[in-house]
Amino acid sequence: MEPSRSYASQEIEQQTSPIEPLKKPKIKKRKVWVPGLLLLTPILLFIFGFFVIPMLYILYLSFISTDNLGGAEAVYSLKNYTQLFSDSYYLSSLWLTVKISLYSVLVALFLGYPVALTMAKSSARIRGYITLLIVSPLLVSIVVRNFGWYLLLLPNGTINQTLMALGIIDAPLKLLFSEIGVVIGLSNAYLPFMILSIVASLYNIDPSLDKAGAILGASPFRRFFSITLPLSIPGIVSGCILVFSLSMSAYVTPALMGEPTCP
Amino acid sequence: MKTFGGLRIAVAVLAIIYILIPLIVVIPASFTSANYPSFPAEGFSLQWYSKILERPEFLEAFLNSAKFAALAALFSVIFGTLGALGIAKYDIPGKSYITALLTSPLSVPQLVLGIALLMYFTPMMLAGTSTGFLIAHIVICIPYVMRLVLTGLSGFDYNLERAAAILGANPLTVFMKVTLPLIGSAAISGGLFAFLTSFDNVTVSLFMVSPEMRTLPIEIFSQMQDAYNPIVASVSSVVIFISVLLIVILEKIQGVGKVFGGSHHTNG
Repeated sequence: MEPSRSYASQEIEQQTSPIEPLKKPKIKKRKVWVPGLLLLTPILLFIFGFFVIPMLYILYLSFISTDNLGGAEAVYSLKNYTQLFSDSYYLSSLWLTVKISLYSVLVALFLGYPVALTMAKSSARIRGYITLLIVSPLLVSIVVRNFGWYLLLLPNGTINQTLMALGIIDAPLKLLFSEIGVVIGLSNAYLPFMILSIVASLYNIDPSLDKAGAILGASPFRRFFSITLPLSIPGIVSGCILVFSLSMSAYVTPALMGEPTCP
Repeated sequence: MKTFGGLRIAVAVLAIIYILIPLIVVIPASFTSANYPSFPAEGFSLQWYSKILERPEFLEAFLNSAKFAALAALFSVIFGTLGALGIAKYDIPGKSYITALLTSPLSVPQLVLGIALLMYFTPMMLAGTSTGFLIAHIVICIPYVMRLVLTGLSGFDYNLERAAAILGANPLTVFMKVTLPLIGSAAISGGLFAFLTSFDNVTVSLFMVSPEMRTLPIEIFSQMQDAYNPIVASVSSVVIFISVLLIVILEKIQGVGKVFGGSHHTNG
């Protein structure tokens, strides 16, 4: 007897509704939305045709056995996946990718958090300048940024020469075409994303919490570890996930600065 | 406890230098007089800039890049502005899902997008053609344009359009005289951003180019894979110069930071 009861309750609601018209004065921008859909048609068709369908298409291809690819009888199987996880070549490069991505996340986190904290504490003007400085490099092609690192990391490049002149090392370190090179390149490229996602969570912290801590006599050190850091964990987590996934899927930087294969 | 704040600022400054340094070293390195790239540069000469002109492939790649970036920007601004207007102005059911769908190419790794489009284009005979290249670039530009124009529309007063309509303007006049001037700056910055995104792209382009049609970042990429040559430094400096110019214009119009606000953007 469920449906009849719900009808009854609906009727009651309808009857009572004229009594409370002030409840939610919902202002609609337009009652008809057909013209809006018309405006959206070109972009939706484009994204469906050239983004959604291609993505579904490779998902579909991944389940088809390679031998029959393009043949009349396609065989659905998980063979591609079992092959991926049983081949030692794929597995070792997958492990290397995970390792390099984790290092990049750590470097980005330790360098990015102080920047985010400084941005959250500065005035809007300085924050604007910092945002401009950290975001602008994202708009310059990744190959150009990698070339800059190449100059710095060469065996006789700036960093090795500086370290040798200071007497810290005797022989040049192998920075380029190594795991270190890829970690430097990736953490450098994705550091801005880490900063921006931490900043977003730092803005949401109520500043009066910090003041309350100060009034109660907590040192800046204590206030940071008991108030600011715990409350910014969502930003840290999302930043780490973002940088990790970006590093996992990076291609250009490992191709130019790495030596071993990374997918 | 001054040391704590001092340490924070010191690391922050270091991190910002870390972000900027690869770009900073390229420019002085391009003025080297030696035959190999280095920083600090040895001597001073403009020879690597004049060498660009002797290498027609760079000039051709540059023109290709500029042409496709302009076309990709044009199309993505048209699609994106119309779509953003539709989303912002009308109460379309499920509009948050539509916005999420239209900005989703940002959250897919560009490597995956490039492979997907290549496999999809091959049976359609679009792989390696300029049409395929353009389509791929429009896909990666649309999310930025959508985001910028939607931000620009958030403060838009629709009563102005209504007032114009009441005063007897026909819908086309309303659009040309009221709507377009008000959202124009958002659309222009969306277009500039799309231009830069397309101009700089390597990952998706790698799957779309053919030996006959290469773009500047692809040319730099393959030069770097073969041998390091100071000409890469001078070409890169030109790219940096163009990017900085457009960034300054963008910042003046709308603010570069807005585009990346908590975004899922894939680069490289």
